[in-house]
Amino acid sequence: MNDADSFSTPDVDRRNGGIRKQFQWKETYTYFMFIVPALAYVIALSFYPAAEAVFGSFQTPTKHFVLSNYSAVVSMGLVTSVVDTVIVSIGALVIQFLLALAIATILTKKFVGKGAFSTLIILPFGVATVVSGFIFSIVFSAVGGYANSFLVSLGLHPVNWYSNRYSEMVIVMFSDSWKNTPLVALILLSGLTSLSPTLRESAMVDGAGPLRRFLYITAPNVKGTMAIAMMIRGVSEFNIFALPLILIGYHPILLTTLVYENYNLSSVTLYYSYAAAVFLLIFILVFSSVIIWAGGVKSYASS
Amino acid sequence: MQVREIGLYAVVFILAVIFVYPLYVLFLISFVPVTYTFGQIYPAQFPVALTLQNIITSFHTVSLVNPLIRSFEVALMVATLSLAMGIPAGYGLSKIKSGIANIIVVLLFFVNMMPGIVVAIPIAAEFIRVGLYDNLVGIALSQELVVLPLSVFIMLGGFRSIPKDLDNQARVDGAGLLTSLGRISIPLVVPAVIVTFLLSWMTSWDEFTYAVIISPGNPTFPVQLYNYVTRALPYEASAFALIVTIPVIILAAILQKYLKGEYLTGGLVG
Repeated sequence: MNDADSFSTPDVDRRNGGIRKQFQWKETYTYFMFIVPALAYVIALSFYPAAEAVFGSFQTPTKHFVLSNYSAVVSMGLVTSVVDTVIVSIGALVIQFLLALAIATILTKKFVGKGAFSTLIILPFGVATVVSGFIFSIVFSAVGGYANSFLVSLGLHPVNWYSNRYSEMVIVMFSDSWKNTPLVALILLSGLTSLSPTLRESAMVDGAGPLRRFLYITAPNVKGTMAIAMMIRGVSEFNIFALPLILIGYHPILLTTLVYENYNLSSVTLYYSYAAAVFLLIFILVFSSVIIWAGGVKSYASS
Repeated sequence: MQVREIGLYAVVFILAVIFVYPLYVLFLISFVPVTYTFGQIYPAQFPVALTLQNIITSFHTVSLVNPLIRSFEVALMVATLSLAMGIPAGYGLSKIKSGIANIIVVLLFFVNMMPGIVVAIPIAAEFIRVGLYDNLVGIALSQELVVLPLSVFIMLGGFRSIPKDLDNQARVDGAGLLTSLGRISIPLVVPAVIVTFLLSWMTSWDEFTYAVIISPGNPTFPVQLYNYVTRALPYEASAFALIVTIPVIILAAILQKYLKGEYLTGGLVG
């Protein structure tokens, strides 16, 4: 029994005059009714379509059970797209977390211009993904690119960023990190500020240097926050779609762009896109299980 | 000590430059004459001359207004839906046993993990049947999936922070459930309502995956911008990018005091 229950039962009794005792409409049920619309919504528009995609991946347009959709996407380079998706995701996560940790640490200190700094840092968060993709396509463009113009003005050689798939993936990682580091920094900052400064100070008095203070004091205490940030960003990282589409098109192809390339509602390739989609789904489930298991996200919203 | 402070300011400066530079590039390509930007192999890093010609030309050649209106309408629908479902769900969850509430929260969290592109394609197939394909309502309904879990988390956090006694006292004084919700609880969670509304609005404004799959023929601004980029119309694209970025930057600056890590993680505690 929680508080609301024990409190409200007399109220219900009074209204019903105590006539219907067999089935009593508890107030808890009313509260459940408040939740039903949201739940029904996500079941109808998220879980059901996801199941449809899984079934569709084993079907032909005439609803026969086949495995050929999978062999089709494998021949389209599914394996490399999986590898590339992992490279891009992990690379982007590493860049974001290093930058965000630096920013969050700086924001726990006092300095002149802190307000201006935090406003500047938050700006990319408000910039649309498509816009950031467009801007970075101009920054890294081989002809008329601002990155090369900068390199040349320093007396260095210009780089053709689109010459191989690794440098292309670096562009995607970098653009993605620019937009998403502010979010990670904000999350990490909330973890760092909840950390008592006396802990760090006493470690300092005991002679621990900056690195050891970070490893033994800060890191264990922000582990949970880190795991949450990692989960939120990691899942979106595997889903990265608009940025690679604008920056590098279908070369190298990632899992999401592979799904999109085959997306055609009036063609057999629709079922290929379902097959590729299933891989993406498996991927994300595995990744989040690993993070939950390793990061120790113990309690959800337990206040 | 002096050296450390200089080091700190140096790092602050470098980070600030990295984060502002892409926006500066957007400013350059929008306002500097084309001969100094796209016309050069190595474009100038500084505004050697300024002009409004680029923006005026792009307004004459393509329609920028319609996609913006569409995006605006969709974002408004998404934000309204977020409140319509998020407020009741957050309130209901704050009132039931926290064990059950947490399971439901985790279930909603799983929705956020479903890849948009995986879910969007079957939805598109369904929407063709019911006439919501290439339709603004269709985009709004699908984009709502992205923001609903977060909206519920934020509202739940808001309602949980209200002392239980307030609500109970109102009920003792004879207020019904809805009266108590409307007169006592909701006025106390106005900040959470504002954050939910603005975050939903911003997410929808930015959302590309559902928009491009559900409504390619009736594009919102991100889809239209993508079209300009793929059709190699950089002037139009840059004018468009600039117009949509200015309001969101202002919004982000205003939102800044509300943007706390706790909200963005949806009240998840490590």
